[in-house]
Amino acid sequence: MPQIQLNNITKRFGKFVAVDKLNLVIGDGDFVTLLGPSGCGKTTTLRMIAGLETPTEGEIYIDGRLVFSSEKGIDIAPDKRDVGFLFQNYALWPHMTVYQNIAFGLENLKWPKDKIRARVSELLAMLKIVPFEKRYPSELSGGQQQRVAIARTLATGPKVLLLDEPLSNLDAKLRTEMRAELKRLHMETDSTFVYVTHDQLEAMTLSTAICLMKEGLLQQYEAPMKVYAGPSNAFVADFVGSPTINFVETSGNNVNLDEIKAEAPGMRLLFTPVSGSLTLRRDHPVAIGVRPENIRLGEPEGLSGRIYSTLPSGMETIVKIQVGDTQLTSVVFGSVDYPLDSPITVSFAGDACLLFDRETGEKLASGSVRIIP
Amino acid sequence: MRTVNRLKAFIKKPHNIILVGLAVILAYLTLFPLFSLIRDTFIVHPSEIMSVKGAAVNDYTLFHWRKVFLDGERSAKLFYLPLWNTVQVSLYSSVIAIVLGGAVAWLVTRSNMRFKKFVSVVFIFPYIMPSWTLAMAWLNFFRNRLVGGAPGLFTALTGIATPNWFAYGMFPTSIVLGLHYSPFAYILIGGILRNMDANLEEAAMILKASRAKILARINLPIVMPAILSTFLLVFSSSMSAFAVPAFLGTPVRFQVLTTQLYRTLNGLNPGYGYIMAVVMIVIGTAILAANQWFVGKRKSFTTITGKSSNSSIVNLRKFRTPVSVVLLALVVAVAILPLATFAIESFIMAPGDYSAKNFTAQFWIGEGAEDIGGGEPGVLRNKYLYLALWNSLKLSVIVSLFAGTVGGLAGYAIVRGRGTKLASFVNNLAFFPYLLPSMAFGAIYLSMFAKPTLIIPSLYGSFALLVLVGTVKYLPFASRSGINAMLQLSGEIEEAGVILGIPWHKRMARIIFPIQKASFLSGYLLPFISCMRELALFVLLITPANRVITTLLFQYNEKGWNQWANAINLLIVAIVLIFNTVINKITGASIDKGIGT
Ligand SMILES: Nc1ncnc2c1ncn2[C@@H]1O[C@H](COP(=O)(O)OP(=O)(O)OP(=O)(O)O)[C@@H](O)[C@H]1O
Ligand SMILES: [Mg+2]
Repeated sequence: MPQIQLNNITKRFGKFVAVDKLNLVIGDGDFVTLLGPSGCGKTTTLRMIAGLETPTEGEIYIDGRLVFSSEKGIDIAPDKRDVGFLFQNYALWPHMTVYQNIAFGLENLKWPKDKIRARVSELLAMLKIVPFEKRYPSELSGGQQQRVAIARTLATGPKVLLLDEPLSNLDAKLRTEMRAELKRLHMETDSTFVYVTHDQLEAMTLSTAICLMKEGLLQQYEAPMKVYAGPSNAFVADFVGSPTINFVETSGNNVNLDEIKAEAPGMRLLFTPVSGSLTLRRDHPVAIGVRPENIRLGEPEGLSGRIYSTLPSGMETIVKIQVGDTQLTSVVFGSVDYPLDSPITVSFAGDACLLFDRETGEKLASGSVRIIP
Repeated sequence: MRTVNRLKAFIKKPHNIILVGLAVILAYLTLFPLFSLIRDTFIVHPSEIMSVKGAAVNDYTLFHWRKVFLDGERSAKLFYLPLWNTVQVSLYSSVIAIVLGGAVAWLVTRSNMRFKKFVSVVFIFPYIMPSWTLAMAWLNFFRNRLVGGAPGLFTALTGIATPNWFAYGMFPTSIVLGLHYSPFAYILIGGILRNMDANLEEAAMILKASRAKILARINLPIVMPAILSTFLLVFSSSMSAFAVPAFLGTPVRFQVLTTQLYRTLNGLNPGYGYIMAVVMIVIGTAILAANQWFVGKRKSFTTITGKSSNSSIVNLRKFRTPVSVVLLALVVAVAILPLATFAIESFIMAPGDYSAKNFTAQFWIGEGAEDIGGGEPGVLRNKYLYLALWNSLKLSVIVSLFAGTVGGLAGYAIVRGRGTKLASFVNNLAFFPYLLPSMAFGAIYLSMFAKPTLIIPSLYGSFALLVLVGTVKYLPFASRSGINAMLQLSGEIEEAGVILGIPWHKRMARIIFPIQKASFLSGYLLPFISCMRELALFVLLITPANRVITTLLFQYNEKGWNQWANAINLLIVAIVLIFNTVINKITGASIDKGIGT
């Protein structure tokens, strides 16, 4: 039933701020993914939770116990925090065989030999590395090493699992299988997972909440679908989703009480917020964000554009269209092919379009976009 | 036709040509001496005519073998006891070197000890300085009245007379050699600890392993290969060390194989000496073989370089200051205090009297007086000193140029040809001189090149012989540096040049050498320093005309002219340290890059 709470955690390396005043509550049984561009402080955050890195400021609670506090001078050692940690670079012990690597933690818990044997075998089977039991890490491929590292982390059955890009080195098929395993494991063991990944799909499909960071600053911390549908700023909107969201850069003006007229070369649009109204300066620089699946092609009364390229991938096709100065990306179901440069109309569906302030990046509203003829 | 094509492909690769060339030359310069050495154990030498009854010079005989191995009490005195002493001294000094060097390496790389910078620089000094430096310092400090002279500083200051076992023999020899070679351990073990991924320890920590268990199960096994190669290096170096046991053992007649070697080679029974040399080579080779077998058996694992963060630095907490202070005191005592004692001893008129009125500059700049040392002038006025110094410098520069260049090429060729039989053959040949005891090596070269052989004219008493013997003896250092340099360089870097059609000599000069300049240059630095302070290798080869500074020192010491010896020693140490520092500052070459992994 462990809950993890970070209060105002800051980590500086010299002058450089790696993590900046991070507040995070990871609920009992949550599966939280840390997401963000390389170098944004994900590993550092994970290491601070584990006790491998000493925060410069702040407090950390695990399972209601204060494990770190800069003010009270508390810093519980990593081995007393009851966490499992999977290192980004695996950190397998090069002088031990696969079996010895996995068994090491159990030996420290003074398990009897036969129980260790049974537990290791179970993990070897689960991670599909039975044939490599007697090998040394240097004799394994990257993906095999990674699975050994996962097995080693899982062996002792820790209640908090901190996993730093655990599946990054696996092929697509294996990755899907391992994802399923991890999800099952999470359900069965009732433990709390904090998971770093660069894989969107992984973050979306596995986690109960996504924590998005940028340059050490928390951007948004919500359930995956909420982050996807309601990103708090342009950075989040841009980072989450594949293919990435379209931004139509325009300048906006209030019209008709609560609507906003946005104009850009080749298009005149009217944005209607779903709820409330907002006030803009005259010619306020704004961007309208539209997810590719909300861009419809070939409907009457759309903007006129031309096909830039078509990228079919079987189940769906990504179509790039040039409208005026703007290039838009659309996803359509099934395999379609348009001739290059053929004319096509573009329109925006649904009320999940987003309006961003181009100066601050903040989201101003979500709503629907109509085309002004 | 096939063979011709394969041969063509073979010689197209420059490293193969180098390997073949080195294999031939090194076999001639190392294996041939070995055979000649073995032959020397079976023949009658001119000085032995009297002892081997009815034999003529160069007759084959088993006389020496019988005498050394099977002559009961006499063999024990001549050989078995010195052998046992040698083995003990080498073992103890290896243990001291590994424990001390390993501990310092751990403290510097993995703890929050204070004075890290200072300790890591100064800890190497004992290795840079001649090995007898510490031995002389020991004598200056702990000498007792046994040898007839005045007692040392320690007795002068405290009034406590040092017991013989403490002042001379096995105990100080082991300590001094251990201290002298502990930089090996520090460099080799420290190199691995520094590059060791901190996550490896952290992973164990998270899995609830105790600090002690992490040390025993994670750190120790990972540095094991380094410990083993330290053992190999220190054991064989201690075994062939001559100056230290000569200085510290002679007063109590403590004999080891090298001192026996010196006596027999210089005396009436060189045949005995050659056998002892063979025994030492056999022991050294056995350790080398055991080492390679052990390292080969364990999976050769690379320590992945990862980021080491602050938390991997162990907080010594309340031990921090005591440990730091003790270590600081140790390096000062080992690296700096000896120099102070040389300075003091060289300014003292009557030994043992440290009162102010007894101080004199006589032995540095004095004219030379009839009543002191037979009218020998002070060292700075002594033309022999300048001649010897000039010889030493000349010799060291030439040797380092040869050894460094050949070693660099050897390193290149060995790494490029890795995995082939030829490459490992050359690798072993290039390391072999390390296992040959210096003095025996000198003796063999003396006998080998005393008369013209093949195309080489007689080199007896010539400077060229010194150059040759020095180059071959120090090749192992240079080739190690070269191999280290090449191992750190991925093959693709050169291949990128090959694809662009850049010829080999240009690739070497413009790509490979510049990138690993510091490592390659270290291959020149080590032979230079070693040569500057070498005694055992040259002691049998020197003639008055080509006397070098170390043999001059040895002569003064044998005569018991303590003040001159101390003054010269101070000069040698100063020159070597200054050269090392200057070269290090200018080029980045350093001892640890040469030895290190
Ligand atoms: N020990 C350290 N000393 C100095 N700076 C560090 C240290 N560790 C991390 N940093 C810096 O802190 C920032 C965050 O690093 P971190 O490893 O947490 O990134 P990350 O989000 O895990 O990136 P990636 O996705 O590439 O793994 C980086 O800019 C990094 O350079
Ligand atoms: Mg990371």
